[in-house]
Order: sequence, then structure tokens, then C-alpha cells
Amino acid sequence: MVLRIRLARFGNKHTPFYNIVVAQARSARGAKPLEVIGTYNPIPKKPTNLYDDNANARPYKEIALDRARAKYWLGVGAQPSDPVWKLMGMAGLVEPKPTTFHKA
Amino acid sequence: MAQRIQSRRVSNALLPYLTSSQSSSTSSISSTCPSSQLFSRQFSATAAPQTKLRRQMFQWLSTEGATLKHHIPGETNYLSGRAERDGDSNEAPRPFPGNRNFLSETVLSEELRNEVYVRVVEKKKSLRAVSVELGIDMKRIAAVVRLVEMERRQRAQGKPLALPYARAVHEMIPTTPLAQEGERQPFHEPINDLPAHPSTGAQIFYPVPESRSFTRVDAGRVFSGAPTLEKAVADKISHPSDLVDDIIENPNSIEWVGKGKNARQVLQPADVRIPHPQLVKLELDRKAFPNERRTVAQRHAERLEKQEAAEKQRRELAQARREKSIQHVEPERSRFEYRIQDAKFTKETVGVDGRAPWAPGRRYGIPAEDRKRGMVKIPTRVEA
Repeated sequence: MVLRIRLARFGNKHTPFYNIVVAQARSARGAKPLEVIGTYNPIPKKPTNLYDDNANARPYKEIALDRARAKYWLGVGAQPSDPVWKLMGMAGLVEPKPTTFHKA
Repeated sequence: MAQRIQSRRVSNALLPYLTSSQSSSTSSISSTCPSSQLFSRQFSATAAPQTKLRRQMFQWLSTEGATLKHHIPGETNYLSGRAERDGDSNEAPRPFPGNRNFLSETVLSEELRNEVYVRVVEKKKSLRAVSVELGIDMKRIAAVVRLVEMERRQRAQGKPLALPYARAVHEMIPTTPLAQEGERQPFHEPINDLPAHPSTGAQIFYPVPESRSFTRVDAGRVFSGAPTLEKAVADKISHPSDLVDDIIENPNSIEWVGKGKNARQVLQPADVRIPHPQLVKLELDRKAFPNERRTVAQRHAERLEKQEAAEKQRRELAQARREKSIQHVEPERSRFEYRIQDAKFTKETVGVDGRAPWAPGRRYGIPAEDRKRGMVKIPTRVEA
């Protein structure tokens, strides 16, 4: 069966928080995964201690990722789901997925 | 079932007396206007006679208390410690005469707090130096800088400020003024205070031969259960403050005792642990060279500079180490910045079963206790 690297939702209502997990593709979202390799907090945080020079800094989202384990699982054929592909693309672990649309 | 409390308008019975301009005798009110009595005594069925204490209260309100009705700007309006009324300016301001231990501490005046901001942010002086100059605790200096910064940002954004409130409060509480040109700045608070260390609470009977010197350094070692210093090392320390320089340069040089969970660092003498250890050296220098004020000041400045440089370097190293493990990504098409932190999900970091409570991420099969009673979710401290 296919192994997937995907997000598993935690957190309460309106406060999502995801573990980045390696799991069998057909297992339930909340089932115990093979392994947790990271976390992703999709709620943007405002940077603190903003002074005039960097007052326009972007809000940030936090990702924690075990790169060694991610590389290993990718090496043995685990397939990232689309959201995880996006995160891993930013971390430089996989080629970013080509977008299906092009802005004019 | 009859209603216990009649549904009438509830009012503060004292208010008419306190707010009325003419101080009226209460007995006349109770006898002449029954409607007012009824109005002020809603919860009682019987007409209680005027008690002695109540009579005394109204007497006080019309005589001594009348002066407290309006405060004098720039002075406290406390029952005791008001210079003009009592003719006693030395007495500490005590808002509660029954509680002699409660002293109303002074707060920073507007000018002083602005001066703190100017010195730290515009003149680029260190918190430590400003703290010594103005006699304000370093933590308070840091807080003032943050708050003034916030105020300026709010002004820039055109947000309303509670200025009348601030003015009124500052008129009524004691404040530490900013010294005029040529005056000596009054100290706002003691800056070199040290809380009692818990390990000094033990009562230890430790016999020492009279021929041996036993200093604060040795006492700290006894309290932390460390072996006595070797004589060669101990002889090099002429004063406990000699240890300061080494420890500031390298805080990891403090010795450890105990094993495993009980491991602890050797308790250092107070000369090292106080917020401004360099002031001890300054005082020693002043005593040793009473006529060379300039040299003493110069040496003090050098020490301060050295200490600040060491602290700055250490801070920068720690920051660099933190930054090294975080990758900042700002995708072109996104409004957000992504901070990718290296994490290690190994047996050591997440436990044998992957369920260790300190492990990153959320756990499986372990209830989240964030809704439990007593769980503190708001931040309880600010990193300076």
C-alpha cells in the first residue's frame, strides 16, 4: 500500500494545528501514524518587537520538520500530499509542484 | 412566597451626603423627611436609630474629611502624610492609617520616563548604565522603553490615548521627579537588591578553625554542598568581587555539583549575583584611591564597557545559534513568511513510545489538558 506524507489535524475548533505524519494512504486522518516528522501551524503570527524599519514585516507561519526523516521517507517512495508538497517544496526537499494555472 | 428583597431602585445611601455641598446633620434628615429615609434604607423593615459610629462618621466628613474632598494637584490625597494639612512633610505617605506597613511607593514622573527612553534609544546608552545613572531597576528600564515605544507608535497611528486619566493619576500619587540641570538625580528605587536564594535557607552547623579565612565564597560552597576550595585557588581570591570578571566572560565556568536530577551550580557570593556587580569594584576603588577620582571613574567605565561587550557577544551568539536552525522562506505569491525549524523526532526527543510530553507536535492517545482548570495560557513573562 502507498505511504503518504500528509497532515493530521489537531487543535480545537477554529484553531487548526497539524502534525506532518507518515502514514498508510488508506488509514484515517486521526489514526496513529507510522511516524511524526514535523508540525505545521497554519495560523499566522504577527512578528513582535516591530520597530519602524521592519514595521511591514510579513506575518509568519511556523513549520517544524525533521529533514533527515523526511528525506528518508521520500527516498523509500512515500508520496507527499499536495499541502505537504507545498511545505516541503519551500524547505527545498522536493521540486515545487508545477502550478496548473499561469497568471497573465 | 413573599419577595425577600423589594424591587426598588438600589442606590448608594452614602452618596447624597458625600456629594451634597452643604454638610447637613443626619438627625434632621431622618426626622424631617421620612421619604428620604425610606429611600436610603430599603432593605430594612424597622427604622433603626442613628448609631454612634454613623454620627461620628458624618461629623468627620463635615470637619476633617471636608479637606479631602478635593485633592491638591501635585500632592497625594491620603489620610496621612499630606504635607500641607499635617505640617509634617517627612512622614511617608500612608493611604491606610490602620496599616502602618503599607507605604505608597513613588512612580516615575513623565519627564523621568521620557528621559529613560531618550538615553536608551536616542543616545544608545546601555540599560545597565542608565539604570545606575537614574537609580531605576534594569527591568523597569526595559519596561519603560517598551511602553514608551508603544505609546509613540500609537501616537503615530493616531490612536486615542488616555491622557486626562494619566494626568489625574500623576497628580494624586507620589512621583520621582527628573533632576534639573546641576541637581543630583534622586534614586527611584534600590537597584542592587538581591532576593534571598532558597538554598541559603538551610541552617547549617559548619565548624571552621579560627586560623582559616572563611569568606562569602566559602559560605556559598557550604550551602551548595561543594567541597572546600583548594588553598592555591582560594588564596588568589582577595575579595569575592574578583570572581565577577571571569563569570561575566564565561558563565559556564561556574562549577557544578551533584549528579543527575540533583546537579546544581555552586552558589556564588552575592557580590557576583547582584544586578550591578561592577558597583562593588567602584566602591572599593574609591576607598583605595580617594584622591584619584578621574582614574577611578575611568577604570569603572572600562570595566562597564568590557562587561557590556561580553554580554552583547554572548547574546549575539545565542541569537545566531537560534537563527541557524530556522530557515525563513518568503514565497512570491504568498502574503506570509514561512519559518521552517529543524526538529529531531528521535527516541531521545519524543520518548521510546513517541509520546513524551516535551516532544514537538501534538500527541496521540493523550488527552489535551488545555481546557483543564488552572492551565495558564496567557504569556506570563516577556523576554527582555
